[in-house]
Amino acid sequence: MKRSPLCLSLSLLVASSLALLCACSKDPAPASSGGATSPQSITLWWFQWAPADGLQELGREFQKETGIEVVVEQIPLGSYQEKVFLEFGAARTRFDIVIGDSQWIGRGATKKLYLELTDWLPTVVDLKTIHPRAAKYLCEYPEGSGKWFAAPCETDAVGVAYRKDWFEDPAEKAAFQQRFGRPLAVPQTWEEFKDVAQFFQRPDAKRYGCSLPSDRSYDGLTMGVQNLLWAFGGRWHAETSNKVKGELDTPGSVAAIEFYKQLVKLGPKGAERLDYGQVLESFTNGSTAMILNYFAFFPGIHAQFGDKVGFAVVPAHQGKRVASLGGQGLSISSHIPPAQQELSKKFIAWFLQRRVQEQWITKPAGFTANADILKSPEFRAKAPYNGPFAESVDSMQDFWNVPVFNELLAVTQRYVGMAVDGEMPTEEALRKLADEKERILKEAGLL
Amino acid sequence: MGTTATVTRHRGGSAIAWSLVGPTLLLLIAFNVFPLLYNVALSFTNRELVGDESRWVGTANYTRVFSDPLFAAALRRTALFVLCAVGAELLLGFALALALVRDFRLKRTVLAIVLVPMMLSPAVMGLYWALILNGNYGVLNQVLGEIGLPQPQWLTDRDLKFWSIVVIDVWMWTPFMALIALAGLSAIPSHLYEAAEIDRASRWRVFARITLPMTAPLLGLAVLLRATDALKQFDLVMATAGPNDAATQTLSTLMYQVVFRDGKIGLGSAFACVVLVVVIALATVFTRYLDHLRRARET
Repeated sequence: MKRSPLCLSLSLLVASSLALLCACSKDPAPASSGGATSPQSITLWWFQWAPADGLQELGREFQKETGIEVVVEQIPLGSYQEKVFLEFGAARTRFDIVIGDSQWIGRGATKKLYLELTDWLPTVVDLKTIHPRAAKYLCEYPEGSGKWFAAPCETDAVGVAYRKDWFEDPAEKAAFQQRFGRPLAVPQTWEEFKDVAQFFQRPDAKRYGCSLPSDRSYDGLTMGVQNLLWAFGGRWHAETSNKVKGELDTPGSVAAIEFYKQLVKLGPKGAERLDYGQVLESFTNGSTAMILNYFAFFPGIHAQFGDKVGFAVVPAHQGKRVASLGGQGLSISSHIPPAQQELSKKFIAWFLQRRVQEQWITKPAGFTANADILKSPEFRAKAPYNGPFAESVDSMQDFWNVPVFNELLAVTQRYVGMAVDGEMPTEEALRKLADEKERILKEAGLL
Repeated sequence: MGTTATVTRHRGGSAIAWSLVGPTLLLLIAFNVFPLLYNVALSFTNRELVGDESRWVGTANYTRVFSDPLFAAALRRTALFVLCAVGAELLLGFALALALVRDFRLKRTVLAIVLVPMMLSPAVMGLYWALILNGNYGVLNQVLGEIGLPQPQWLTDRDLKFWSIVVIDVWMWTPFMALIALAGLSAIPSHLYEAAEIDRASRWRVFARITLPMTAPLLGLAVLLRATDALKQFDLVMATAGPNDAATQTLSTLMYQVVFRDGKIGLGSAFACVVLVVVIALATVFTRYLDHLRRARET
């Protein structure tokens, strides 16, 4: 029975490997509770930014009232989408509620990842109190169908932040008046925006006219361009169908992109590739006169600059003003047990109450979809960005939110990017983009 | 009796052999062979990242791969990346090794410092370089501005972006080439150089006839390792430009875009299979070349 040292070591190696494998296979925490320890708790996933902190604070209020713990897990924005959809590949998601981008809703609804809320939501909230544009783009799929897959959480739109102190400087005002024959004022049209940007563009003095989202890695350029695209009479697709050819490749769209190209040149160095954070940074470093960015970033700017900055709605073109929609809705995962779904519904019902929404708007960058609050003079008077925000919500519009939005976004970024960079004539880029989009939609059975 | 003992001994030996090889074999099957076969199977389906639908689509994904201009562009860009990055690493690494092969004071310290870049995580280094090369507040442009030189937009200018990533890769992996070349140079018998000195061979002749041929097999191996690694270039591109930038998209970032953003697992698997075939083909050509070099040296 004498055992060789080799056999002994081998046995030990196999045993330790098996032990390691067993240890690795153990589930570290109950999947649906996301590691939360309270007997009744829900986990929300959102990306890492100020409103998520505000939501966590509200969650503590909810716990005080109901005893249900709320854990808001913040995922870095760069990997948020991938993490969420990989999680949906599991039988039970680690989140109960996902605060998903408006564009995800088609995928969430058609793949049955989000719980349908159509019958339940009207029992806890008067749907008329939800701003119709927020309902259409953040909550319903298909848009305006009355089928609800989310409740509004953060409502957001693109707006303009500008250096009020520069605009009010007597010397600047006089110089502008002399050069353009009109007073220096907050631009109401895109043409005026360009004039003002041109006026402040002084690279030698490290002062720049404007910064716009132009990043190609996710959706920056598209979210920036579409404010002009819609205003100039262009559109991504037909109003009542997904038809793209003849809708996108139009003179209006071409004019919008050509105009954007000119605006991008009136920015700081590297302005042709700025993500939202870099647009913000170009403003907060004190070098840029105006930026185009989401309202959710503006409370931070106001906190830093105070009365030196002003906020406005996006400019119009020939009377047409459209703001690019941002924001996310609260969607309940269909990959969690019914008991967790019920707790999640309780939280959403609580969150949508007017008194809670009034608390929500006091949190950092907490913006509501509650139509009554948006209309109220108290809300508009509370912060200098609230008025322009409420006005923007009335004109906001979204990019595609069909299940293949990612592919549509990727080709849009690519071809619009080529047009903005001058790599391809704008007409050709839009024609090719329309072809590509129709191919993607046909493959997905959406055309 | 003797035969029985031999058979028993043989069986015992065979059991030990299997017990030694078995676990590795099982791990290889579980983590390499099975995923590979599963990937091949997925490439013939329309499987998506989410949802249960999975339908056999024949060769549709492969047709799409070969007709997709994005794939062709990513393939060309990746090939250019491998050629330029690995080529520069080879030249610089070999030059560095030639400089380091002689003994000098603080040689060990210098060697340790030189090797630092290859020991760092490419993803982390990508993020650091993105800060260093930032057009507005990056250290490099600040320095260039201070000495009155132009400040290019390293990571935003579409003509510069790709080359910036090549430079970062060269910075990271030149030490690896240098290390392998140094090992090759150190292994050259000194009597060869002594004989060349007696023959009054020129420095160039010594380099061309002794140094280079003697280190070529090891350098070839290093090139093979680096080339297969560079073909998978992912981290630096993701950290500096993201997966969807037309100027920098490599095969790996294109696959990431297809699988994790678009959610097309079936199509992504077909992409992966084609890339695998390309990598295997290149590796085979290279190993045959190395074999040829070895045989040439033996004869």
